[in-house]
Amino acid sequence: MRLTRRDFAAGIAAGIAAPYLIKSANAQGATIKIGMCAPVTGPAAESGGYAIKGAKLALEAVNKAGGILGKQGELIVEDDQTTNPGIVLAFSKLAAQSDIVGFLGSIRSTQVHAMAPDVIKLGKPVMIGGTDPNLTHMGNPWLFRFRPNDSYSGRVIAEYGVKTLEKKKWAVLHSTDAFGTAGGKALTEGLTKLGAPPVLDQGYANQSQDFTPVVLAIKQSGADILGSYFTFENDLGIFARQLRQLGVNIPWVGSPSIVNVTALKLAGPALYNTYGVADYAEDSSEGSKAFGKIYRDAVKVAPDNQSSWTFDAVSVLSAAINKAGSTDPSKIREAILATRKFAGAEGEYNFDQNGDGLHGYNIVKNDKGKIVFDKHIEFND
Amino acid sequence: MDLVLQLLFTGIGIGAVYALVALGFVLIFRATNVVNFAQGEFSMVAAYLMVVAIEFGLPYWAAFLVALAGMALLGVIFNLGVYYPLRHRTYLPVIIATIGASILLANSVLAIYGPQPQVLEGWFETPGIQLGPIYLDSQYLLIIGVTICLVIFNFWFFEKTLLGKKLQATSQDKEMASLLGISVSTMIMITFIYSAVLGGLAGILVAPVLFVSIQMGSTIALKAFAATIIGGFGDVAGAIIGGLALGVIETFGAAYISVPYKDGFAFLVLIAFLIFRPQGIFGERVAEKA
Repeated sequence: MRLTRRDFAAGIAAGIAAPYLIKSANAQGATIKIGMCAPVTGPAAESGGYAIKGAKLALEAVNKAGGILGKQGELIVEDDQTTNPGIVLAFSKLAAQSDIVGFLGSIRSTQVHAMAPDVIKLGKPVMIGGTDPNLTHMGNPWLFRFRPNDSYSGRVIAEYGVKTLEKKKWAVLHSTDAFGTAGGKALTEGLTKLGAPPVLDQGYANQSQDFTPVVLAIKQSGADILGSYFTFENDLGIFARQLRQLGVNIPWVGSPSIVNVTALKLAGPALYNTYGVADYAEDSSEGSKAFGKIYRDAVKVAPDNQSSWTFDAVSVLSAAINKAGSTDPSKIREAILATRKFAGAEGEYNFDQNGDGLHGYNIVKNDKGKIVFDKHIEFND
Repeated sequence: MDLVLQLLFTGIGIGAVYALVALGFVLIFRATNVVNFAQGEFSMVAAYLMVVAIEFGLPYWAAFLVALAGMALLGVIFNLGVYYPLRHRTYLPVIIATIGASILLANSVLAIYGPQPQVLEGWFETPGIQLGPIYLDSQYLLIIGVTICLVIFNFWFFEKTLLGKKLQATSQDKEMASLLGISVSTMIMITFIYSAVLGGLAGILVAPVLFVSIQMGSTIALKAFAATIIGGFGDVAGAIIGGLALGVIETFGAAYISVPYKDGFAFLVLIAFLIFRPQGIFGERVAEKA
């Protein structure tokens, strides 16, 4: 057989490339990879940092306990830039890596909606924190939620305000994005069922620089209580300050953003004595307390839902893969849906067939800047 | 009536912020014939400089002076690094360079300081004054006061001082100014320094209201750019009037028509001007000879 120059060149190239290819192939199988889309830049970059830390802490614990299918778990993070196009791009980059077995999506419903079509196409499990109820009710079998959805938060806000605080003239304020619209709708429905339809239903656009017209509308409506769904902490901080400056001091029960670390720092005393529905409350369960200790020791700041849901998502996903004994997406899906009585940082996970793991909320109070657990309200219907 | 007065005050306060940033746009446009899309980032950088200076233990007034001095230095660097190398090119490469510089500034601050929004306290311990039924936010009062002072200062500076007249001459005709012995590059350098300081001043003043964040500059700059077009690109008075008008229009639009479409009103007005009066309120129609 005659050796041509082309054969010789191909042989040399193969010889040079072979060690790298073998090394790369070994490396691909050495860990079980979990992809995560997180806001490293953009308006939610700060909370994104907390989310990444939560996920990493969970993976450290999983790895210490023997890992996933006997291998070490590895987190691959892509920046979603806190935008919808950003998360679509981030997810496509992660999806292109065939050895990633599961993903963490966004805490923002609008971003989850943006990436949802690509999730169906890929056909691998994606853990989400977005609370728009539609996300797990629109026929996408690959989305699994690690926070209670807004149908629960709306009902809890309504029930607490009407029954515990005994207020019936509600002003409902919400962002006009997917999260805020769904939350506002759920709260309005909850109030209507309790015989207290809101006297004001007011939307606002994200990244507003001024809320004076909103505050004046609340004042004029004669509302004696405020329910809110804010997406961004900057908006919440500006609104809270203007609300108090313009003399509105009615009770205020807000969605989870009202008790997160960034909002507390920005708004300061303007949020004192407000109430919030919190999927994460440090004193609400043993699992929550345990996470709180791990997080405080590692990160040196107070834990909140930005980090607790990613902590739980990685923990449940890892446990499900171990239970499935395989990285086959369908088997992982079945294992997640079969998860019962899993004690997480956010509470006890009992997945329903839609992919919702939690079915209740905690009510907490801002007591001069300290978040104090009040009660947990769980729904079984 | 109380509602109208409250909205008017807030609208003028927000509008004054737009006007301050718009003034920076106009000055650079007049001097160089290009739009500086990093003007908003000047505001953001100054606010962060102020936060850092306070963290270093400087008193508020000293931190303020340090931040403004930092902005003057940034103006020099910006001129030498972004405008000067491209000064003989058409306007397009310069505009693209300013967009690039704005991205660089935003990401540099992000890399150095991190994404955490910061709280910057206002000048006054009292957050505001209750004047009958109207609440006057002390920071907005300060912003309005500073804007009025700057209008007076600009008039005096550009109309009554030799340096101001040299700057005007440079902006009107660089070749003629050069023939008259005016150092055009020095005048442009001074314009960049002044614009950076103005943008920085706007950022420092608005930070106690909007918080200090990476996005704060771009949010304000977009509205300020619209204000500049409405007022008449290149006109100092136009920038002030355009900014104030925009602030008032969006505040009243939000209160009486729709809150979610608040930003939409500002840009509807912008589109209307671009269609029916593209030269803006104070701009002069430019005719071309056949």
